[in-house]
Amino acid sequence: MRLDRLPTLRINPSETCTLHYNGKTSAGVAGDTVATALYANGVRVFGRSLKYHRPRGLYSLDGECSNTCMAVDGIPNVRAENTPAKNGMHIDAQNVQGSADFDWMGFMDKLDWLMPAGFYYRTLHKPACLWPFALKQVRKVAGLGKISPDFKMKGRYAEIYPTADVCVIGGGAAGMSAALAAAEGGLRVILLEARPWLGGSFDYRVSPYDGEKALYQRARELAAQVEAAANIRVFKHAANVGLYNNNLVTAFQVGPEGGAFDERYIEIRAASVVVATGCIERPLLFENNERPGVMQVGCAHRLARTYGLLPGRRAVFSIGHDLGLEAAVDLCDLGMEIACVADIREDGQNPDLLLALAEREIPLLRGWVAAKAYGAKQVKKVTLRTLEGSVKRQLECDLLVASAGRTPLTGPLTLAQARLRFDAHTGYFLPADLPAKMHAAGSLTGRNHPLAIEASGRLAGLKAAADCGANTAEAVAAAAARLSQLPGPERGTKLVMAPVKGRKSFICFDEDTTVKNIKQAIDMGFDVPELIKRFTSAGTGPGQGGIPGHNLPLFAARYQALAGATPVPTTARVPLVPTLLATYAGAHHDMCKRTPLDELQKRDGGVFRRIGVWQRARYFSEDFSCREEVLNVRNNVGMLDGSTLGKFRLHGPDALKALQRVYVGNMVKLTPGKIKYSAMCNEDGCVIDDGVVVKIAENDYYFTTSTVRAGETAEWFRYHTRYDGWDYHIVNFTDALGVINVSGPNARKVLQKVADADLSNEAFPFGGYREFVIQGGIPVRAMRLGFVGELSYELHAPASYMVCLWQILAAAGKEFGIRNFGVEAQNVLRMEKCHIILGVESEQRTNLLDLGLGFLWDRHKTETKTVGTVALRQVEADPARLRLVGIEMDDPRRAPRDGSILVDKRIRGYVCTARRSFTLERSVGMALVEAEMAALGTRLEIYEDECNGQKLAARVVPMPFYDPQGNRMRM
Amino acid sequence: MALTITCPVCGKRNGYEFRYGGEDKGPRPVEEGMTPRSWCDYVHMNACVAGVQKEWWCHKNGCGAWFTIHRNTLTNLEVEGVEVTS
Amino acid sequence: MFRRFKPLWGKKPGLKSTYDAVIIGGGLHSLATAYYLAKEQGMSNVAILEKNFIGFGGAGRNTAIVRANQRTQENVPLYKEALDLWPILTKELDYNLMFNNCGNLNLMHSEAAMNAARMNVCTAQFHGVESHLLDPRQIKELEPAINISPDITYPIHGAMFHPPGGVIRHDAVVWGLAKGAAAHGVHIHQQTEATAIHTDGGKITGVETHRGRINSPRVLVSAGGYSAGIINKMMGVKLPISVLTIQAMVTQPLKPVLHHVVSSGMYHAYANQTLKGEIATGAHMDQWPNYTTLTTAHYIKHQAEALSEFLPFLRGVKFMRHWAGLADMTPDMAPIMDGNDPVEGFYMNCGWGYFGFKSCTAAGRHMASFIAKGECPERLKPFGLRRYENHRLMGETAALVTYTPDN
Repeated sequence: MRLDRLPTLRINPSETCTLHYNGKTSAGVAGDTVATALYANGVRVFGRSLKYHRPRGLYSLDGECSNTCMAVDGIPNVRAENTPAKNGMHIDAQNVQGSADFDWMGFMDKLDWLMPAGFYYRTLHKPACLWPFALKQVRKVAGLGKISPDFKMKGRYAEIYPTADVCVIGGGAAGMSAALAAAEGGLRVILLEARPWLGGSFDYRVSPYDGEKALYQRARELAAQVEAAANIRVFKHAANVGLYNNNLVTAFQVGPEGGAFDERYIEIRAASVVVATGCIERPLLFENNERPGVMQVGCAHRLARTYGLLPGRRAVFSIGHDLGLEAAVDLCDLGMEIACVADIREDGQNPDLLLALAEREIPLLRGWVAAKAYGAKQVKKVTLRTLEGSVKRQLECDLLVASAGRTPLTGPLTLAQARLRFDAHTGYFLPADLPAKMHAAGSLTGRNHPLAIEASGRLAGLKAAADCGANTAEAVAAAAARLSQLPGPERGTKLVMAPVKGRKSFICFDEDTTVKNIKQAIDMGFDVPELIKRFTSAGTGPGQGGIPGHNLPLFAARYQALAGATPVPTTARVPLVPTLLATYAGAHHDMCKRTPLDELQKRDGGVFRRIGVWQRARYFSEDFSCREEVLNVRNNVGMLDGSTLGKFRLHGPDALKALQRVYVGNMVKLTPGKIKYSAMCNEDGCVIDDGVVVKIAENDYYFTTSTVRAGETAEWFRYHTRYDGWDYHIVNFTDALGVINVSGPNARKVLQKVADADLSNEAFPFGGYREFVIQGGIPVRAMRLGFVGELSYELHAPASYMVCLWQILAAAGKEFGIRNFGVEAQNVLRMEKCHIILGVESEQRTNLLDLGLGFLWDRHKTETKTVGTVALRQVEADPARLRLVGIEMDDPRRAPRDGSILVDKRIRGYVCTARRSFTLERSVGMALVEAEMAALGTRLEIYEDECNGQKLAARVVPMPFYDPQGNRMRM
Repeated sequence: MALTITCPVCGKRNGYEFRYGGEDKGPRPVEEGMTPRSWCDYVHMNACVAGVQKEWWCHKNGCGAWFTIHRNTLTNLEVEGVEVTS
Repeated sequence: MFRRFKPLWGKKPGLKSTYDAVIIGGGLHSLATAYYLAKEQGMSNVAILEKNFIGFGGAGRNTAIVRANQRTQENVPLYKEALDLWPILTKELDYNLMFNNCGNLNLMHSEAAMNAARMNVCTAQFHGVESHLLDPRQIKELEPAINISPDITYPIHGAMFHPPGGVIRHDAVVWGLAKGAAAHGVHIHQQTEATAIHTDGGKITGVETHRGRINSPRVLVSAGGYSAGIINKMMGVKLPISVLTIQAMVTQPLKPVLHHVVSSGMYHAYANQTLKGEIATGAHMDQWPNYTTLTTAHYIKHQAEALSEFLPFLRGVKFMRHWAGLADMTPDMAPIMDGNDPVEGFYMNCGWGYFGFKSCTAAGRHMASFIAKGECPERLKPFGLRRYENHRLMGETAALVTYTPDN
């Protein structure tokens, strides 16, 4: 039965939904959370605790602990208490063997004496053979939720990156006041609220705001103003999860049912931030303080006022704050029997509330506290005691509303590096200093009076506007003056725990950490809260610091009072609210680059691989040895898409100086029409790139880099000339130009058919560079290179012409047997020719000389300060380096797998690339080997993976293996 | 993503648009008389300052300029108001 | 059986005026060095100076992965020794270090990566360390949660599988070693900051702390990410180190679902399930120096995107806690262990980057021998500082993937 006529309700009792739980269907109403729907259906035990399998029930409604973490539609650890109920949801209790009500692991609760703080560290390892078995059991009992390894997440996830002048975190009265104040001058304001509605702690309360209105009416009034303001963007149901330097705020928002997204990640950059997150309640520490039926004041009150559910029939209150008295009065008026209210405070209560209690004949015990709750699965009885423990009284009840006081939600502040200081007056950790452009407002600051909450919000909002350059000085002064006339922070309760030993007083519900465990940890030398956390796990469960965050440091300080300890807050960490990976991933999708010839190659059966940012065709058949592709290049002609090659123009008065700085070769010697192969080293002389350079005109050069270096080449040039102030420009043509490599003895015949230039060996010799036009329309830059060891033309053309060029060449080459070859065939071809690929024939520490490329280095251009040459000079005489050598296997049919190592008693090197060569009918490769073993003819032993000590025999042979004179590429 | 860097060309931008280029160690030394140790000092050795240091950055996802800024390694924030040209 | 709750590493000792050796830093390498100095080298008059509390730095912030499948023959034996020490130490220290020998699966996403991994596998097998290459089908059998579909950014080609590796409870190692060191007489001084190192005539004479001066002929700096700064400030020696912030995070606890340490260089992520059931995952470092331990929004999002692809079930799981620590990176991804050069009695053990956890026991043991005898043990010789000026970088990194200010 719902209280369906309350003006404060956030449900719509006329719209129902059906949930499936524990083999039954439960009816909920629109606006219910999963937990409130189940509660309405009589569910009191929602799950079992981690270690002791204690029954756990509804304790708060904001998800500070794992009590109501349930599996919803296969998703584990869903906070039932603030997850909207949706029709057809399947709900399961967690950490139960059987059901939540009848869990046969419940006996664990009796074994707590076996599991003191840190018991894992001190047991299960003796004898050593015990541990592997124990480990399996430990894994099984640990963990809360269950998920299948092939679980597939459904739903839509989005992400947005709004910017704002002011971001206000918290949509209560303070936050709304701050947003309205900040927005007055027209600034762009964002307001984040975790609940699906604005209103905060005013939302469900009928206490008077002023003479005319109740608090909930005031909240709705403010909400209407906020929603009406054009320059305030409100994100409701959006929990703040992170706050970073420079006021970067992150949050995730739950989408409305049937909306465009299920959840979305929000990343906000704001000039100024107001934190008005308010307070949660500080759990009361007593025996069985987490028994189902024990709940916090706000939980009991909101169940009734927001969800229309009377949380029990007969309640005992043990509280330390006026909100407890207010709830007792209101719940009494709504029809609940209040057996007694025990207030920790001896005095200081609001006289109006005292009067209200008296009018309703609710007994009030001042200076009393709950000491123990009874009842196996639900509270049946409670013992109250005076604070020093001398007098006790027992009362029967089915609800124990328990709360020690309030705790400010300072998480966002500490994430932003605000320092917290313990304030003895309020009993809160309050910010001692706030970072620039950050403000705190509302009950978070200890204010409790409704007008003061709003006034502090307004002041913070105006200050935030000032951070954005608004001229609010006068308004700030007025708001500050107003706030100073309103009631200041109220005195808070000092009590940390009831006068009990604490064996079953839980300081952290999620990890089943008791007061006794904390004492044990401190006794063992874990004396600061962060260490206690690590040793006892308190505060490291699904709810993080929500439940123990305040009590742990307070209790630790009290227990060590003689050592002069002061309370030190524990560290808050991102995400402040646990957040789905799906939500963080948002609308993530793969981004890669495809060459202009991608579609054509796919049509031709290309097998693609991701190389860096690119997708490239690696094979053109299922035969990954590429025999046909290789032999066709050797015998006829092949065509390779080389568009991923880095391509650059370098021009300007100081272009030559820049080239001289980064290339080891001497670029003064460049002449138009000829290409120069050269390399770049890093400061250690290690080779980082190779490619060709062409002089196009005076002070105008064109050069290529390897695929992986294309993205960094411009940076590299500028980095190494950053102190020089040279005047040159570097333009990256990598995406603008495509490349087709036509290689093989028939290459000239193919190209001559379509080119408007003389391609004879005399007119365009090996090592030459020409510009001409293909079929009267496609301008190409052509280079005669020999990477694969055959007559070869590398054609660079605008990307938009590439498809056309490819088709022209394919048609022209048909009679000569042209076909595609891929990256792996190229790899084999160039290996036979002993042309290196950096990163394959080199490791990080391989220098120019190690690779036998010393001939590229012009040693006489010292004035150019060429990058890497100092190191090369210093290391030239070092005999103890790895050198690149050619190797030939004794067995011509068996090449070692790449990455195999060369060994004798120790490792002497490794195989970079080796293949059984179809062209040569030998098995050959290249290896990096210690210099003393690099001499021709040296016998090598190759150790492959899984070889069981059976090594392969090889010897060092001259390079290259194929066409050593280089005649074929000069044809 | 909270670091922002002020590019002399593009202004204050998200730090992830930039590439770090090392502590500012001054121009390349002349090669004459360079010992392995003095060269190693220039290339590899860092002061590892805990506090404000002058350092190189490149606006790699922007204009491509290299420039120096001052940044506090204890806060990961750019320190503005210090002269930023080398 | 649990009646006694005495301080694990003894009552707080007073600061003596003289020690035989002073160790700056209260992390794993320091504790291990102190433990072995006292236990194996007969030098128990040793002080550890920790500015915060023991295990405050990298020791308590790493994700506790252990393995011995490095690339070079200089490194593998050191890590193998460390791997072999876990069960021995569990017994010696009488403290359960909770070694979960689950094995490591290092995913490879291309033919080239498989070839690079083959070198590691061969090196391991040659040294008697178990390590294998797997194909995607074998991966799926071992770890059903892994997505071997070709429709992801970096489809999985294979993996390097290293069964002897796994995960240790890192805090247990800190506390166990502290317990063992204290039992052998080592003084652990927490909340004690070293402010200067004193030398005289090329020899170490003592350490200044904010609690007073200590005389000692030997000082070891092994303060994790703070080492390079300390050594530059107190000894005027610059090191080839960049101190970067490295981040990690855990999800909410789950029943067993992930059975190995799964890592991917391409996705820049690793993940494993802790004994508590959380999925611990991390790897990212912003590539600029920092002494902050601040996390970034950029990274937690990246991690979610990466894991969504190769461990897609995790999309239904929630991140719960994200933290950061310091990694002191060297140009060749190998540490610097050196001493007695040029100042007699001055030792350093740093540059461990993000792999200092897995090696701490073996490194500490050899450093103890180095400090006690004054001579560098064979195993540590390749790790000397001079290798950088001699252009003899270690080959731990296969290729220059990208350039950094260090190369």
